[in-house]
Amino acid sequence: MEAVEVKSLYAGYGAAPVLEDVTLTVPTGQGVCVVGENGVGKSTLLRCVSGLQQVESGTITVFGGDPGATPEFWRAVVTTVEPPTWYPGLTAREHAELVCRAHGQDPAEAGIDEALERFGLARHADAIPPSLSSGQKQRLVLAIALLRPSSLLILDEPEQRLDREGRADVAALLADYLAGGGSLLMASHDDDFAIASGAAITTMESLSAVAG
Amino acid sequence: MTTVPLAPVRRWILRRQSAHRERGATLNSLYIGALTVAIVGGMLHRQLAEVFWPPHPDASGLAGASLTALCYGLLYLALRRFGPLALSRPAASWLLTAPVSRRSLLIPSLRIAGAVAAVLGALAGIAIVGHTAPRPVALPLLTAGGALLGLVLLLIAAAAQAGGRWGTAVDALMSLLFAAGFAGLVADTTLDQPVAVTAWPPAQTLVPLVAGVAVVVLVVLALVVRGLARTPSDHILDASRTAGTLFDAAFGIEPSFLTDMIERRYWAARRLRSVTLPSRLPVLVAQDLLLTLRRRRRLLWLVFGAAFPLLLGNAPAWILGAAVLLGALIAGMTATGNVRTDAGNAVLLRLLGLSSRQAVLQRLWIPGVLAALWSAAALTALDVLGDLPAGPWWALGLALGPVGAAAAVHRARAGFVRNDLLPLDTPMGTLSTGPLVNAVIGPDMLLLGLPALVEIAQGNPLSWTTVLVQAVVGVIGARAYLSGTTDTDRTELSR
Repeated sequence: MEAVEVKSLYAGYGAAPVLEDVTLTVPTGQGVCVVGENGVGKSTLLRCVSGLQQVESGTITVFGGDPGATPEFWRAVVTTVEPPTWYPGLTAREHAELVCRAHGQDPAEAGIDEALERFGLARHADAIPPSLSSGQKQRLVLAIALLRPSSLLILDEPEQRLDREGRADVAALLADYLAGGGSLLMASHDDDFAIASGAAITTMESLSAVAG
Repeated sequence: MTTVPLAPVRRWILRRQSAHRERGATLNSLYIGALTVAIVGGMLHRQLAEVFWPPHPDASGLAGASLTALCYGLLYLALRRFGPLALSRPAASWLLTAPVSRRSLLIPSLRIAGAVAAVLGALAGIAIVGHTAPRPVALPLLTAGGALLGLVLLLIAAAAQAGGRWGTAVDALMSLLFAAGFAGLVADTTLDQPVAVTAWPPAQTLVPLVAGVAVVVLVVLALVVRGLARTPSDHILDASRTAGTLFDAAFGIEPSFLTDMIERRYWAARRLRSVTLPSRLPVLVAQDLLLTLRRRRRLLWLVFGAAFPLLLGNAPAWILGAAVLLGALIAGMTATGNVRTDAGNAVLLRLLGLSSRQAVLQRLWIPGVLAALWSAAALTALDVLGDLPAGPWWALGLALGPVGAAAAVHRARAGFVRNDLLPLDTPMGTLSTGPLVNAVIGPDMLLLGLPALVEIAQGNPLSWTTVLVQAVVGVIGARAYLSGTTDTDRTELSR
């Protein structure tokens, strides 16, 4: 079974078509990185695969089922395509712990502190996320996304707002994730980052029968 | 650095603005304002007279002193919350950063705040003395005294805004004063024979006193005006944002703008230390518990508030019952910040991978416990100090827990006011229904507390059967709310 299978997908915003006849396959246990200029529809594609955007026509299956709002889907899939919101009065570390506990992980063994350290957030563990900078917030989302168990990661430009060292670290983490049997679909501007993470690079144009 | 004179800049802005404003718009607004005051005054003048100047004094000395602490404490806290010195959003963006005199920039704001504080101070003074002091009382002197007290509070608030940490201490002191006033009022209702005020100082004593205070106010005013330029920019910006959000909330009829801003600011000012979530509780219950325990001051106000129904001793019994139910809702709402976040955006629920049913079920627990404890405390206080007939009232309070929980969680899930609903045409004008519909989301669930309301309204001794009926209705109602509004195969809280 493929992790993600997209066939003849059409989607857009109002009268403006963004995705026209797009076909994409992400085999289970492998990674695919979609590259392309801003505005070619990378994020829209990821949103459709996450079930967060209405499609006009075409089929999308994730692990053989519809992408959707069910808790089972969201226990298998983690996405960073939406801007995050935060709970009031909960620190960055407590957000991570909350997510781990909701997935039945033991917070002591989940490696929360190591993850915060790795993403350069150790000093901000006690801060409430709204007080962090936008880069720190993005790293926190990424740290939490990688902490909790999942079978498919859908990441929108995970390398953004990371310095060179941070990019290498995250790419290595994604490679580990793939090696551990996880599947990955991401959009990126950085080919080196995509290669380091072990994902196969594909352009938006090559996915679309119309544009191609 | 040279300072650019402000007056020509302001005149220029006003001229440009008036170019795209309708001619006479200001006069029209003034006319509408005056007409509204006249109509409301004409309709309610009897009730207003009863509130401000009853024919005979009808409150004790203790009640008068308590009301003084309550009203003026509240005035001070309100002044502090809204500034008291603020600028409009455009002025905060463009003029605060320009090389203009900070003092002349802030003086109009001080003038408006001064007028408001003086009027409110005078009204409070008239009402308090009207209810307590033996007649005759020199009304002009009293008005001047109340207005001066309002001004004193404004000057302290303005100095606190400009000053350092001592402002926080004064705020805490005023909160204490407010709480003491409330406690005094409650104590007054429980006294069998309150002591009325029999003597009122003669004009010969009061005139020099008021004149003295007036001189002090003038001197301090001059000092505050001199120090206006030292008010830190961030304090003015904060106050300007508050004022802007207040206007947004008023014009958009969307109170959540204001409450969200207050909540954001509260947490931004707190220094937290990460703790481990209690592991024995379900994860969201643990989170709600943590959030509630971090709001100790609000919990303290809730404890105080449990005495509030005592103040309604003279009101019809059904109002007392309604107040207890509303109190249960408010107590439950202390712990619904998280469910409000989830209702606004389900990003975190998706990350948590929980179904909407699991999430709402867990989110009902802490509001339920708070509502149960609050209602039990309020009804016990009424039982001991008030005049409820015999019976296990504490148990009826505990039985209201599920009702308060369902109402509070329903309220938290209400979302924004819908302004697309059909307006109602009435002979008095058009009434937009969106805010009304939004306002009853939450309180409507209090209908589940009908057994308790009827019991309190009837004034019969309370039996265990009624407690049982209330408990069963509450639990079944909350259960039905859960299954009717959530699903096991959906994460989003709203459909």
